[in-house]
Order: sequence, then C-alpha cells, then structure tokens
Amino acid sequence: MGTIKNLAEGITALLKGLATTLKILSRKPVTEQYPEYRRPLPARSRAVIVLTRDPDGEERCVACYLCSAVCPVSCISMQSAEREDGRRYPRWFRINFARCIYCGLCEEACPTLAIQLTPNFETSGRDILKLVYEKEDLLVNHGGKNNEYNFYKRAGVAMVGDKGTQINEDKPVDLKSNLP
Amino acid sequence: MPKLKIDGLEIEVERGTKVIEAAARLGIIIPRFCFHPGLGPVGACRVCAVKFEEGPVKGVQMSCMTDAQDGMVVSTTDEEAADFRKHVIEWLMMNHPHDCPVCDEGGHCLLQDLTVAGGHGIRRYLGKKRTYNDQYLGVFVQHEMNRCIQCWRCRRFYQEFAGYRDLGALQIAHHTYFGRATDGQLESPFSGNIIDICPTGVYTDKPSRFTGRRWDFERGPSLCIHCSLGCHIITSARYREMTRLEARFSESVNGYFICDRGRYGFYYTNHPERPRRARIRTEEVSLDQAIQTAAQKIIQINQKNGPKAIACLGSARSCVENQAMLIRFCRVQGWNEPTYFETPTMAKKVKRAVARLDEQLAVSMREIEKADFILAVGADPVNEAPMLALAMRQAFRNEATIVVIDPRPVFLPFEFEHLPVAPDDLEPCLTALIKGAVHRSAAEKMGEEALRFYDTAPAEYPDAPIKNRMVKITQKLRQSRYPVIICGTSIVRETTPDVAADSALLLRAARGRAGLFYLMSEANTFGAALLSSEEGSVMDVVESIEKGSVKGLMLVESDPFRSFPDYERLKQAVDKLDLFLVMDYLPSFAARLAHLFFPTQTLFEMETSFVNQEGRVQFATSAYRGGIPISQISAGGHPLRVFRRDIPGGESQPAWQILAKLANIISLPGREMFSLSKNELWSWIAKEYPIFANVPIADELPDDVRVHLAQGREKLFPSGGQIRSGGLSRENSTLELVMGDWTFGTEELSTYSKYLQQVEKEPCLFMSPKDASMLGLKDRERITLPLDKGRLEMELRIVDTMAPGVIVMPKHRQLAWQKIEKWPVKVAMGQIRK
Ligand code: SF4
Ligand code: SF4
Ligand code: SF4
Ligand code: SF4
Ligand code: FES
Repeated sequence: MGTIKNLAEGITALLKGLATTLKILSRKPVTEQYPEYRRPLPARSRAVIVLTRDPDGEERCVACYLCSAVCPVSCISMQSAEREDGRRYPRWFRINFARCIYCGLCEEACPTLAIQLTPNFETSGRDILKLVYEKEDLLVNHGGKNNEYNFYKRAGVAMVGDKGTQINEDKPVDLKSNLP
Repeated sequence: MPKLKIDGLEIEVERGTKVIEAAARLGIIIPRFCFHPGLGPVGACRVCAVKFEEGPVKGVQMSCMTDAQDGMVVSTTDEEAADFRKHVIEWLMMNHPHDCPVCDEGGHCLLQDLTVAGGHGIRRYLGKKRTYNDQYLGVFVQHEMNRCIQCWRCRRFYQEFAGYRDLGALQIAHHTYFGRATDGQLESPFSGNIIDICPTGVYTDKPSRFTGRRWDFERGPSLCIHCSLGCHIITSARYREMTRLEARFSESVNGYFICDRGRYGFYYTNHPERPRRARIRTEEVSLDQAIQTAAQKIIQINQKNGPKAIACLGSARSCVENQAMLIRFCRVQGWNEPTYFETPTMAKKVKRAVARLDEQLAVSMREIEKADFILAVGADPVNEAPMLALAMRQAFRNEATIVVIDPRPVFLPFEFEHLPVAPDDLEPCLTALIKGAVHRSAAEKMGEEALRFYDTAPAEYPDAPIKNRMVKITQKLRQSRYPVIICGTSIVRETTPDVAADSALLLRAARGRAGLFYLMSEANTFGAALLSSEEGSVMDVVESIEKGSVKGLMLVESDPFRSFPDYERLKQAVDKLDLFLVMDYLPSFAARLAHLFFPTQTLFEMETSFVNQEGRVQFATSAYRGGIPISQISAGGHPLRVFRRDIPGGESQPAWQILAKLANIISLPGREMFSLSKNELWSWIAKEYPIFANVPIADELPDDVRVHLAQGREKLFPSGGQIRSGGLSRENSTLELVMGDWTFGTEELSTYSKYLQQVEKEPCLFMSPKDASMLGLKDRERITLPLDKGRLEMELRIVDTMAPGVIVMPKHRQLAWQKIEKWPVKVAMGQIRK
C-alpha cells in the first residue's frame, strides 16, 4: 500500500514542477545581459569615488585629511599644500580602490562635498596597480550631487586679501580706532 | 591643608591650590581655555564653571579662580554648571570662523574638543561675524586672528612669563587683538610656545603647516639636544620625515615650555644633503662593504704602526651609547682612548665641573625658579642655554636678585645686575662678593682649606665703579635664604668651576642652603666627561698627526672643522692621514673629506640616553624608522608607485652598532666580541662606571635619575690660596678676544636647520665704548680683525654693557673664525683697522 502511495505522490510532484517550468518558459525573461545592457543605477549607489569642483570651477578638496582619517580600511592618502593665493589644496591625493569597501564614510565626513561616491563600479582589470587612482584620475569637472556649495565662501579663513568679504562677515576691525 | 570633595571624591591639597588643579589631581579635567598650569589663572574665559554645593563658596563659580578650601563640596557634572559652560562655548563660538578643515590646529584644538564635549553643535547666531586682519609674525608663527577667543594666554606667556614685549594685546573690548604693533619677526627666542598654548588656531606652527594632522603623526617622547639643558620634547614624524617638535612637560627640567632653537633645530635630520649611504672615497657602497674595507685598512695600519697609530674623536653631541661604545672599542683594541674636547683647557674645565657637582649642591631649573639670589659667572643664558633664562626670570618674578658676572654684553629678559669684567677678573669678582657676604667664622667651621680659600679671596674688587655696585649686591646676598651660583664652562678660566663650587659651599655654610648649576657646551658634555678617562684633546691628536705617530683618524659624530680653532692646521693634518674614517648623520665638512664614510642615525631614529648638565640621565624614544623622506623622493608629487621591502635611504645605523660590527671583524681571536644589544652595552657601562649602576636599563628611564660622582671623594677648596688676583694686571695695548655663543648660528646641529638660518643675525664684533674711542672706531663700521692665521672682516658694534679690555665675537656659522693658534687670544689694539 505504502509503495503505491509514494509513487503517486512522486509523480504528482514531478508534473507540478514541470507545469511551473512550462508556464515560465513562455514569460518574457527578466535577466539583463551585462555588458550588452547597462542598467542605470540610482545616483546614490556607492562605487568609484570622484573629487568634484565648486561652482567657480576650483577643486573643492582642501586636503583636510578627514576622509583619510575616517576611512575604515585606510585606502586614502594625500598631502596638503598651499596655493599661491592662500588656498589649501591636495598636492597629491591617492585612493587605493583595491582596498576600498565603498562604505561611503569618506563622503559623509567631507566638509566641502569634494569627495563623492558615484554609481560607476566598473573597475575590474588585470593589473592591480591600475586600481590605485591618483588625483588626476579622481578629479572631475563638475559638482557631482551638489553644484552650489562653496566652502571657501563661508570658511572665514583668509585667502590673500579677502578678509571680511565672505558670507556673513563684518569688515576687519580697525586697530587704529576705538569707535565701536 | 584644606580637604574638599569633588564629584564625590575626597582630596587634600596645599593651601592656595585652585579647585581646577585639585580636580585635575583626581583625574577630573574641568574644561579650561585661559587657565594653564604654567601660567596660572586669570578668569578670562568662564568655561571652567562648576557648582559649589556646600562650604564657604556657593553656586556656580569659576574653578580656576577659587582656592580650594575646607569643607567644599564641588560638582562638575551639575546641570546648571554644564548648561553654563555650554552657553559660554556657544558665545565664544559666535565669531569663530567655519574653517576647521583648513585650520592646522584642527585635530588637536582645545576649542574644537570642548565645543564637541560641551554639546554645542548647531550655530544659532546668524548675524555677521567679527573679522581681523592678520599679521606676518616671522618664520615660525602663522597668524589667523579670526580664530581668537580672547583667553589671553599668549600675552601672559609672551610678556609676563617670558619677558618680551613685542607681542601683546591691542584694541579694547569686543575688538581686542593679539599681535604686534607692526608686522615682523617675533623677537623672543621663546616665541614658538604661543603655538603650543593658544587653545585655538590663531598661532600655528608655520614650518609644519599642511604636513598632516595630529592623528597621522608618529609621535613619541624625546629630548632636545641643542644645548646642555636637555629639555623634554615630543616628536612628530610622517612619511619618513620629522615634521614638528613640541614641548613635553617635565617637572624638573623645562616645565611646560622650550625655546625656538630646540623647537626648530631638528631639520638637520631631514636635510636634503644628509649622507645616507656608506662611501669609499666618492663611491657609494653598502654599509657592510664599507665596514669590511675599514677593517682591512685598520688592520694594516695597526700591523705596520702599532695600535696607537689610530686616534678617535667622539663628540659631546653623541648619545651615551655611542660615547661608551667608542671608549670600549678603543680599550679592547688597545688604542688610545677617544677624545671628546677641543682643547686641554676645555677638557679640564668640564671634568672639574663634573667632579664637583654633588647631590646636595646640584639644583634643577625648577629649583632655580625658587632661588632668591642668583649669581651667574661666565654664563650668557639666552645664548648658551635659552630655557635657563626663563627659569631665572621666574625667580626674578618672585623678587630674586640676579647678578651676572660676564665680560660679554649679556641680555636677559628682566632686570638684573651685570658686572662686566674680563675673563681673568671673573674669579676675583665672584670671590670678593662671597667674602663680603660670608662671615669668616663660617669658613673657619669648614676647616683649614676653606679658611685658606676665604683668606686668599680679595676683600674687595679693585675696579672702582664695579666695586661701588657690589656693595649693594653684597648686602642682598647677605640676606638671601637660597642663593644659587650658575657657572658657565666656555669662557671661564680652568680654575673657575672649582672656585664656583667652593663659593657655593661657603654660601651654604653661611646661609644654610645654596645651589650650584653648571652650564656646558653640548647636550652630552656631562656624559663625555664622566665616561672618558683621558684628558686628551683634539689639539693633542693634531700634534700627533703632525709628528707622524698617528696615521689614522676615526671621527664618530664629530666635526672638528667647526670647533677646532685653527682650520688650516687641521686641514693639513687630515690631508696627511693614511686613513680618515667618519661616522655621522650631518653633511659636515669632515664627512666630505672622509676616505671612508658611514651613515649613522640621529636621535630621532634610535633609542638613546643623554646626560644633561646637572647629571640627569634622560631617555629618548625613536620617532620613526629613518630613511629618505617621501617628499624628497617624489619631489613633492605623489609617492612613487614602486614596492620594496627595505626603507629607501634607510641604511643608517646607530654609530655604536657600526662600531661593534667593525670591532668584531678586526678583533684578534680570543678578544671580547661585542653584541648588538643595548642592554648588554648598558651592563658594560654599569660595570665600568659604578655611578651608572643605579640607572635602570629599561626602555623608559625615569627622568629623575641623576649621576653624580661619589660624595666626599673630591678634594674641596682645591683653589684655596691661588685665586687669581686679576683686575689691574691687564696690559693696555692688547684686547682679549672672547668667543660668545648666539642663540641662533652657533650650536652645530641647529645651524643645519633652514628655518633657524633665516633668523640668524649677521655676525659682528662687540667692543666697549672706551676701547672704541681709543681706536677712533664708530658703531656699525666694518673692521678687520687680525688673528694668528689671517684677518677677519665683520661689522663692529659698540655696546656699553660689556667689559673694557675685551672684544667679543660669536662662534657663528657664517664666520670663518677658525684662524687661531692658541687660546687665549690677545689682539694688539693698533692692528684693528677699518
Ligand atoms: S568608501 Fe569607505 S573604504 Fe572607500 S575610501 Fe571611502 S571611507 Fe574608505
Ligand atoms: S574630506 Fe573632503 S576636503 Fe577633506 S581631504 Fe577628503 S576630500 Fe578633501
Ligand atoms: S590668540 Fe590664542 S592664546 Fe592669544 S588670546 Fe587669542 S585664543 Fe588666546
Ligand atoms: S633650552 Fe636648550 S635643551 Fe631646552 S629647548 Fe632650548 S636648546 Fe633645547
Ligand atoms: S579657565 Fe577658568 S575662566 Fe578660563
């Protein structure tokens, strides 16, 4: 008795499975053919990092070392320097994408909106050294997700000759006068 | 002593202790901006508010302004107090710029820390911010006044603590400004301290701007070796480059501060021309190859000319390990012991000073601050050991009388009595003062020798104007409770260190308490004097080379071309050598001439010990592992994309290890082999020099170990009966040449610093108005000075704060003064020309 019952159950299961297969065989496929088809990713998805520019077209990054400090895998390194006009900038800036885990903490830490993760994830290659990006490879000529913010306009720190001219600043105190 | 309770913990403190300090002792750090333990309270910032719950004071009060009293119950966590502090910070932040990312203080900023800790995050004030124009403050300090929170620390340090006037507060109220009247280099040689103490980023360290953030640096405790005081410092290094030095607190030595020579002198270690490869003549080879070649040459010479044919010079800027290993090396090889001093006189003076300093007389800089009478003989603190001048100033602020007996135009940042007398007159002047202040019975009690010393001291100084000034000084000395004698070792006579020690003994007998403080020329002069048993000098070595008995010369971190008085003679001697071997980390002249060169490590790359001028054995950890700075290899661009296991340019080794390796090759079978372990070397030191036996051989030495030669072994009052009469015996037709140090430009290592080079003043010759008028010379005229080996041209400065009968010239990097056959130098007056 038991054997016949088992046999019947087995056959039903097989047929059910086959029916499902047949049903789906006639549907339109959902698989996308990569790389023939490249799916547009949301702007906030996190992959290869860029260094953006402010609305004046200047490098946004002021080489404050905050992104390199926060990076959990220590893949960012840089050397800050001063331009002739007193603006601070990275003399060199390096990200090792072979180590980056695309966590986005650097972008979160950046006070100038310079460092941003982009949806571009296509970095595979045969030479691991190609994954070490220098500043030239990172710098783009747009503002990324924000095209308005300009850190140097509100920093309140002197670039040559612009004391007291930034957003919400009084004229410099006149040391020669006691008038209030 | 008042007993109080802070946050539930009980503590008993001395009367006069502020509540903020009492809390710190319990490990509770109350927020502060204006309070600094080195400067004291002022109550300017209001951020140290705490709640006084019980006791004589009630309510929210400033903990830095309130003395700890019996029965106080204090809460630092009280809601009302915390809210008060939060508001104070918000109010201090009102005008603060939004510039932490581009501020070099960011990462070690007190304002940043307290803003976050105090809970103020979002700006509520949306009005306009006050701004200030910044000033150019010179090579060391970058100015950004917008960041100021008016805590007054800078002015209190600069003017009150250090005694210089060119930086201070300008304007009033809401517009208060900290800076100078006009742009310009800060005049104080202690200016770098305002960078350390400013709680925000108004003053930042200019040479290290942009080099990195605090968290990126390799940091460690170390020592300053730019003078004999051995101040404590913290090093910062990044990317194989020493980037910055800061003061490290030391209770006995430097307190909270250091001088600018110490702060900016370290750049020799990153010097772009620093030799980093071993060389045979001009060819670069591996270190091992150079050691092999050296060993062969040494064996050859030893076989042909015997073991005494090779002489060794060490230096007083080398650490104890290097000095000791060199001595050990020479002893095992049967060579003459190495030489550490230029002239026999110098060796004698330093050895006498070291022999006479004992545990009871020796004082630290902190004790000098407590003295009520300071008598400095042949010492020019600002130039020779800058931090000593600050210690003396603290004594001055406590109303001490300060007297300096020195022929040079000594400047100190406070009022003092200067008795400018010629070097021959230092001893009579000092002893006349002592005799005036000490009763004969005190000497009598100390025994026959003391009495003889007392009796030979002149009853009064022969020169009238000085004699008259001494009357008042003697009176003060007679009333003093704690006199301290400071004695230099550079320009004084051979016997002066003994006379100073004897004088201190007499003062102690008369006044109950007295101190003695010697100044020495270099960081480890004391160590060299303790370790070396010979009194040989560079002079003797040069003579032996000329006679032909010495064929080979080995220099270990020593450049005699800087300090030897006769450059030509030394050069000729070196040219005669069969073997000239140099170990160093400086691109020195000697290094360039070397037949065989070995790169050694600087203090910042190895773990070392130094003995400062009061016999304090101090330890320094290594700051980084050495090698050529990345910025130099990549010329400022991004680091090279090459991978290797070794450190580029990292071949340098501690000199003592190179010596050990060399010794192990040349040693005959059966002789002692040297190990490369520091512990083994230290056990050798402790065995050979029992006074080092108490020094613990650990990686972190306690800083309060002092080594003094055994008590009572030295004969006291050896100078009895032979104090120079001096004074009037001076010939009138000659002037004695006295060499001075300058804060910037003299000390060897710091002269390789590109930043200190920028603040060096051009060397000049000082003359008293009396001598100048006799010669018909005018101030700022260019003159030429006849020396034994040629003339020297420089500017003349006429100053009335120096002794007549002498001319003073700096041992300056920019001055080729090494044209002297023998000390002392007398210059015929008629020979000085325009
Ligand atoms: S995404 Fe994360 S791992 Fe990658 S660089 Fe930024 S902080 Fe580092
Ligand atoms: S956090 Fe932003 S501004 Fe700072 S170094 Fe990184 S990218 Fe540059
Ligand atoms: S400049 Fe710095 S130290 Fe001086 S008052 Fe302002 S915040 Fe204080
Ligand atoms: S006083 Fe001497 S030891 Fe101290 S910091 Fe200055 S140079 Fe260095
Ligand atoms: S620390 Fe007490 S008022 Fe500033």
